[in-house]
Amino acid sequence: MSAGRASRVRFSVVMLLLVGLQFYVRPRLGNPHVAPDFLMLGLMIFAIRSRPGAAAFAGFLIGFASDALTPARFGAAMLANTLVGYAAAWGRAVFFADNLLVNAGFIAVGVWLRDLLVLMASGTGGKELAVQLGVWSPLMALSTAVAGIVVLTVFRDWLDIRLEE
Amino acid sequence: MLAPDRTFARRDTALFILCLVLSVGALFAPERWQYAIASSARSTALAPLIALQRRAEASRTSLARFELLTAQRDSATVAAQSLPVLLEENNQLRALLGLAQRLPRRVIPAEVLHQSLPTDGRTLLLGAGRQSGLEPFQAVVAPEGLLGVVLTVGPTTSVVMTWAHPDFRASAVTLDGSVAGIIGVTADASVREPMLELRGVPYRDSVPVGTEVITSGLGGVYPRGLPIGTVVGVARESEGWERIYLVRPAAAPARVSHALVLPASTVWVPSPAGDSVP
Repeated sequence: MSAGRASRVRFSVVMLLLVGLQFYVRPRLGNPHVAPDFLMLGLMIFAIRSRPGAAAFAGFLIGFASDALTPARFGAAMLANTLVGYAAAWGRAVFFADNLLVNAGFIAVGVWLRDLLVLMASGTGGKELAVQLGVWSPLMALSTAVAGIVVLTVFRDWLDIRLEE
Repeated sequence: MLAPDRTFARRDTALFILCLVLSVGALFAPERWQYAIASSARSTALAPLIALQRRAEASRTSLARFELLTAQRDSATVAAQSLPVLLEENNQLRALLGLAQRLPRRVIPAEVLHQSLPTDGRTLLLGAGRQSGLEPFQAVVAPEGLLGVVLTVGPTTSVVMTWAHPDFRASAVTLDGSVAGIIGVTADASVREPMLELRGVPYRDSVPVGTEVITSGLGGVYPRGLPIGTVVGVARESEGWERIYLVRPAAAPARVSHALVLPASTVWVPSPAGDSVP
């Protein structure tokens, strides 16, 4: 097996693991508004090592799955994840250093931004929007970032992501 | 000839725009199409993942709720001691009044499969569908009270529109039946958490704070008597015309782990004598 193909297989294994965590482990982690969003984490990790177009498409697919499972405003998650995926891949290429904590912050901002876009597309406003973005979204962003640190540390070699020692 | 980097950049932009156009198209597509697409995805590509989540949910609740269930069973056992006497008394009173027998109440239990989007709570995904007897427009309740109504049904999953959804409406009355109105989620931007409004209450009627609000049974979707919430104050009023009351909901869709679906047969219907009691 060539090195490139082996790398892709390893990366796919990690992505599948995150999907499994989302649907099998996340329901056991208590409050669904605070538990880490492993699909979003997968999108952010994918965006870190991919081109913007591919990251936007991955965001679209993950958004489609989210919309199918929560059709309160069908299309809102597709739009939000597409924008976040594209912006993450583009921003990563331009701005970010190969530092674990910076990557964790990057993941947290992605989750918060996704929530902001979904809520705005769903027509949520006023104090409810403020509470959601000021309390629940930061908590989920934080838990997802912590999960991101664990995944990036454990699977650093498999993900082919350069991190400073 | 274009440089490879530039070609890639153009491909990225084209893919991004395509995804954006599809997303916006989905956002503004007719509702019927949206539900059909979502339902197809749930019953095909996402079916194994939903099955995985249902399994996780079942095992989580079986562990976490064991002690709670034991306590509830003990309470139910104590309450059941006096049940035969009450039933007999009820039958005697019904016979005296010439009322028909109460229709048997059948319920379908279902697990709530919570998702990570912040809009989870306006709609809920249930781990039961057509195969379990669910159909659209069946009422869904939690132990605390009304949750919502079944919106779409697939073979093994269904989507519930909860009271927190902007399109939700139900006919409601106060517990003593003196004041009736329509219940719906409040659009008041100053409210920090989703609350309900009791609309259409005549200006001459006043509802004290703390009054319980239940479903009226009108419309044939929600049986009469399901707890909706408690009045916490006046939201606003149109001078001389109507008062709109703010109602704190009894059930919190974002926190429920199990729900009960009430099939259409449980809707209360008038007896042959013409009264409104089942």
